[in-house]
Amino acid sequence: MAVTALLALGGGFVGVSAAAASQSQTNPVSAVAGETYVIGTDTTFAPFEYREDGELTGIDMDLIRDIAASQGFTVEIKSLGFDAALQALQSNQVDGVIAGMSITDERKLVFDFSDPYFDSGVQMAVADSNTQITGYADLAGETVVAKRGSEGETFANSIKDEYDFTVKALADSATMYDDVKAGNSVAVFDDYPVLAYGINQNNGLKSVTEKERGSSYGFAVNKGQNPELVAAFNTGLAELKSSGKYQTILDKYLEQPAPAAASGFFGLLTDSLPALMKGLGLTLLATGLSILIALVLGVLFGFFKVSESRVLRGLASIYVSIFRGTPLLVQAFFFYFGLPQLTGQSIDVLTAGVLTLSLNAGAYMTEIVRGGIQSVDPGQTEAGRSLGLGYVTTMRRVVLPQAVKIMTPSFINQFVMTLKDTSLLAVIGFAELTYQGQQIYAANFRTGETLLIVAALYFIVINLLTMLSNKLDKRFNK
Amino acid sequence: MSKISVSGLRKSFGANEVLKGLDVEITEGEVVCVIGPSGSGKSTFLRCLNKLDELSAGAVIVDGFDLSDKTVNLNEVRQHIGMVFQHFNLFPHMTVLQNIMLAPLELKKESAANARATALKLLDRVGLADKANARPAQLSGGQKQRVAIARSLAVNPDIMLFDEATSALDPEMVGEVLQVIRDLAAEGMTMVVVTHEMGFAREVADRVIFMADGVIVEEGTPAELFGNPQQERTQDFLSKVL
Repeated sequence: MAVTALLALGGGFVGVSAAAASQSQTNPVSAVAGETYVIGTDTTFAPFEYREDGELTGIDMDLIRDIAASQGFTVEIKSLGFDAALQALQSNQVDGVIAGMSITDERKLVFDFSDPYFDSGVQMAVADSNTQITGYADLAGETVVAKRGSEGETFANSIKDEYDFTVKALADSATMYDDVKAGNSVAVFDDYPVLAYGINQNNGLKSVTEKERGSSYGFAVNKGQNPELVAAFNTGLAELKSSGKYQTILDKYLEQPAPAAASGFFGLLTDSLPALMKGLGLTLLATGLSILIALVLGVLFGFFKVSESRVLRGLASIYVSIFRGTPLLVQAFFFYFGLPQLTGQSIDVLTAGVLTLSLNAGAYMTEIVRGGIQSVDPGQTEAGRSLGLGYVTTMRRVVLPQAVKIMTPSFINQFVMTLKDTSLLAVIGFAELTYQGQQIYAANFRTGETLLIVAALYFIVINLLTMLSNKLDKRFNK
Repeated sequence: MSKISVSGLRKSFGANEVLKGLDVEITEGEVVCVIGPSGSGKSTFLRCLNKLDELSAGAVIVDGFDLSDKTVNLNEVRQHIGMVFQHFNLFPHMTVLQNIMLAPLELKKESAANARATALKLLDRVGLADKANARPAQLSGGQKQRVAIARSLAVNPDIMLFDEATSALDPEMVGEVLQVIRDLAAEGMTMVVVTHEMGFAREVADRVIFMADGVIVEEGTPAELFGNPQQERTQDFLSKVL
């Protein structure tokens, strides 16, 4: 049903293309030729964007790549997640966003949109096994789920009073479908092509209503930025439509999505391991860098905390209270999205991630160092000083050797915490282990099994590292 | 000339004034014992002599160095003043020998070989030559305190301060530590000894100072102070401890 509707829509685009072509003549193509643009997109919004064998693919991806090729520019795709992509666009971290994004009046206030490239609509789906819910009227007293900030959420909210149900918002399609399958919500409101694709991939849902007339998807740039990119997109889109390539792309993804062949658990394991290992590598890299910087910060501010100078003590206290007093997630958002908006200087995701984790862990390290130093009997310092040894020598030879011994278990603990905290960086699109896991289950809808593999990898690595640390601790802190 | 000259010394911790104006002159080779009830300020007085506690007011001049002068190199002055603590404060992560050698080596006073020879000689002097490679945790209280004395002597001080050096010891170990202090006195070391051992004070002291409530109530030779105390406060204290 959805597929037929889509085909009709595809035809409807031909009318739009003429207008786009004429508009583009005022903007010469050469303005973008040779340029490289960073394009943000959703992590997974199949069939518009999703990963197949680790590569980003989908309608949006084919469109933007074909348009880039025909208009002579290069694109670098960043798979950030929908919310994150929009924030990245506002903070000029990316030049454009193509993420199955509906063109709305609200968004037009902050973004400039291309000509619409797809007409969408919202549809409702329930779990395969559910025979109770066949229409909106059956939703009375129930909870439904929709994607945060999406058309589906707007639509669900518009009818929730009439049909007396509650709307809950989640960040991505895969999570929403799991929510419905787990029975936390009875139904999901999602864009129909996405829903249709998921159902074809055996995601365990079925659609029960006709699609609602919805808005159109557009490619967006930050308000007033990169006008040549929008113009080139419009020109390229018009060319794709007139050459028939546009229809070919739509057909490729919507006509007959291949049902996913359900491989066994070990099939999933072997398929997902390469991507997960890549993620694990980044997890360890971010952990290693962060813990090293945190150690330096911790020792520095730890000494500030026990120093006799009120200024230094105050400085260290302010640092610690800021980073211990705010959630890590807020810090990550701030460094990746907030800071570039304030400074106008964009920041790459690894830098932002390491900055967040090291400043955060550094605050805890400061307290570990302070606690370690202060737990050494003051009589030790007095004995050292009374012998005529200076402050630094007394610290180095008398206090620190004893303090380090006391601190080591806390250091190991902080190390493990930081390793686990890297998973939070998935929200800013840092491609570590958890992020890779999300990518995989977003495409295959096998959330439980994928998360089990991800958790097992964390478990193995953390326990190996803990054993190693304890061994080193025993060896050096006898 | 005075080895130690204290004038108008006051010390407060917050609003609590612990020393309320002390004047003391100590000459070279003199052994001064400070006695008095708990909280009288004896230990604080001692800790002001090497500035482990900051002075609130007044002057302390040691070996010609004015400790109230901020430009005086305290680390330099402290090498002239050994201090022995009630709780020993040995460095637990080092052997006995390393404890004794730490300061001479860090202060580059001696070569490693010389420092080692000196340390062994000092250990022999306090009767612990066989404990050179032991860890502090393996020693008895009396042995720890004797190591602590050897450690203070390693930087070759000409003044020794003892802060209730036998108070944390089991009674049967007090004697061995007092013997070491007695020997030092016999060698002519200038010493200030805060103690609760009245018998010891009477025996080794050239002069006994009785402190109470942050002031010096009375001072004199052991014979004068113990035999014929003038102040009611002193009489009262002595009647309780003797």
